[in-house]
Amino acid sequence: MKLAASKENILEGLQKIQSGISSRNTLPILNNVLLRAKDGSVQLTATDLEVSVQTTFEAKVAREGATTLPARRLFSIIKELPASDIELTVDDKDTATIKAGSSVFKIIGISDEEFPPIPQFEGQRTFTLDQGLFKKMLAATYYSSSNEESRYVLNGVLLSFKDDKVTVVATDGRRMALFEQEVEFPESSSGDFIIPNKTIVELVKTLGAEGPVKIMIGDNQAAFAYGNLLIITKLIDGTFPNFRQVIPSQCEERVSLEREQLLNAVRRVSLVNDKTSSVTLAFEKDNLTISTSSAEVGEASESMAIKYRGKAMGIAFNPDFMMDCLRNLTTDEVALEFSDELSPGVMKCDAPFLYVLMPMRIR
Amino acid sequence: MPCILHLDMDAFFAAVEVLDHPEWAGKPLVVGSPPDKRGVVSTANYEARAFGVRSAMPSRTAYRLCPHAIFAPVRMSRYAEISDRIMRLLHSFTPMVEQVSVDEAFMDVTGALRTWKSPEAMAAAMKNRIRSVTGLTASVGIAPNKFLAKLASDMKKPDGLTAVPFEPDAIVDFLAPLPVGRIWGVGEVTEAKLHQAGFRTIRDLQQVGAPVLVPLVGPALAEHISRLARGLDDRSVVTESATKSISAETTFDHDISDRSIVRHVLVDLAEQVARRLRQSGLVAETVTIKLRFEDFQTMTRQETAPRPFCSDRRLLDHALALFDRQKLPQPVRLIGVGVGNLSDAATHDPQLSLFPDPEVVTEERQARLDKAMDGIREKLGPRAIQRAAGLENQPKKPR
Repeated sequence: MKLAASKENILEGLQKIQSGISSRNTLPILNNVLLRAKDGSVQLTATDLEVSVQTTFEAKVAREGATTLPARRLFSIIKELPASDIELTVDDKDTATIKAGSSVFKIIGISDEEFPPIPQFEGQRTFTLDQGLFKKMLAATYYSSSNEESRYVLNGVLLSFKDDKVTVVATDGRRMALFEQEVEFPESSSGDFIIPNKTIVELVKTLGAEGPVKIMIGDNQAAFAYGNLLIITKLIDGTFPNFRQVIPSQCEERVSLEREQLLNAVRRVSLVNDKTSSVTLAFEKDNLTISTSSAEVGEASESMAIKYRGKAMGIAFNPDFMMDCLRNLTTDEVALEFSDELSPGVMKCDAPFLYVLMPMRIR
Repeated sequence: MPCILHLDMDAFFAAVEVLDHPEWAGKPLVVGSPPDKRGVVSTANYEARAFGVRSAMPSRTAYRLCPHAIFAPVRMSRYAEISDRIMRLLHSFTPMVEQVSVDEAFMDVTGALRTWKSPEAMAAAMKNRIRSVTGLTASVGIAPNKFLAKLASDMKKPDGLTAVPFEPDAIVDFLAPLPVGRIWGVGEVTEAKLHQAGFRTIRDLQQVGAPVLVPLVGPALAEHISRLARGLDDRSVVTESATKSISAETTFDHDISDRSIVRHVLVDLAEQVARRLRQSGLVAETVTIKLRFEDFQTMTRQETAPRPFCSDRRLLDHALALFDRQKLPQPVRLIGVGVGNLSDAATHDPQLSLFPDPEVVTEERQARLDKAMDGIREKLGPRAIQRAAGLENQPKKPR
């Protein structure tokens, strides 16, 4: 294998696949990136066996071929090279020679045959969404998923394609974020798919503002193709809880609040929280008081003028759960709907988004 | 001034054996390893003690001293059963009970005394109740602190009831004639050092200050000894609801290299710990196992649970996972399991759930199972029902 490419092109490619390399790999081959040079471009692949990331960069390929090289080391070397024209030659023992200006590096690789095969998709269902929209949907929901290993099916985000809509849902059993959007796809492609948290984080990081993203679903794998990136992931096997059933069909009170103001007040008040305590939202005529008290730390409260004519009542929430949602929204206002201190509260904004939040018992 | 009681059952294991074997009454009895095996005496009754037989003495030596003694094996489950009954009795007098071992407890009766004429009357009633319910005798010490109470309970054994004076000067006089070895924390080594320096009785210690003892035993122990010699001890009675951890451990009669046997015992211990956790209305967040090897090297391994627990199942999962990850380079002398980071179960997790979580459902089923098992144990004794995995148990020595 022999090729020449610009430093910028190689670096950009390597940067994109870095996150596919886990630092805790037990198999040495997984620390390597697979390079496949062909037809004027080089394909890069990294995998941790759960998520694989693939991209390409342009190159003048003098001799086609494939090898694997230690990904992080290769990245560091390329980044430090003094010249922008780089020549890469790999011999049949998988030793790579990198030349740029007067610098010469030789690094030892591993044969591409030892690299785990990347799954191929057959008979897959395909959906196409706008990258910017998909990114927004994921960003608005994924923080609600669970990291508790015992709740395996909640360790990811649900993509539910049904009735000409895609619904993105994440929940940890205490709160749930949901974003819904109309999209066209054949009826036969309908289905529910749970994408692992790790893949979602990768998607949120790398999805662009525009252009399409093609989502392909196989039996227990899914792939996302956008720009010149391809992300292939395992699906979480299991049944996601019935999320529709959790959304309250009606509410007693509804109040509109300024998002930033509410977020800042909750953040300040929660400074005196210990790990299990809640903040209480006390509503009375045109006033909201947010307060907390902790036996070990102390107490705090803050009032704000609001438009409220409903019954006076208090409801307590986990402040982190409130802030997670408020922080990830972009609208100026949020609507909060609630009924009593033991029924779920719902936060909504003008987007097709909602956040269902179970209260905490007031002690 | 606080009023502390120390209750100590008289030759407990031996007394239970006599209770179950009336024909052994009045004869020298040694509970422990048989005389032809390696191993030690757990408890000897007073008849055997008359021949010089003592706890922790090799059984072979006991046999030499008292060849006509009856040698009985340790039946820990039976003692635990009776111990349970006794501890429940004590709880009916005061909630402030700190169980120290299977046959010993401290009680802070400062508050409970209001309904009694005197501490002596209360202690006498306790002894009577224990005798009428179990047929066993206990010795009780009454004092303003734990150290003195324990000294007092040991003054007139068996079936004793001793009150220590409560005035500081009288306490000093009471302690003065006792040998230095009676001070809590003064073992053989420290005793020898004190003797060498001319300190034989507590009076000798009372006449010097802590600084004089520092070169002998170090600053911490010097301060400790000096305070106790004056009868000062501010340790409080720690009830299970105020405890920071709950644990149980077992020393094997002989060191065990078979993993599966150690594992069986671990299951049994974990069940005991989880049950005490539930009895105290607590949930735990950390699990620790402790292993001591043949050469006395001791190691502990700990992990934190994702959510607080009190079920047998959850404790077992963590304890066994810790154990299964651990290599046994040497035969095991002691195994223990404990839980920490305790909090009140009732006030825990005020967060409501969106939908019935399968984990929570499983846990509720576990809780019902534990409750049923606890009920059976309550009625029929602590070992009336056990997990099969905990059954193949080696006979054990007391903790």
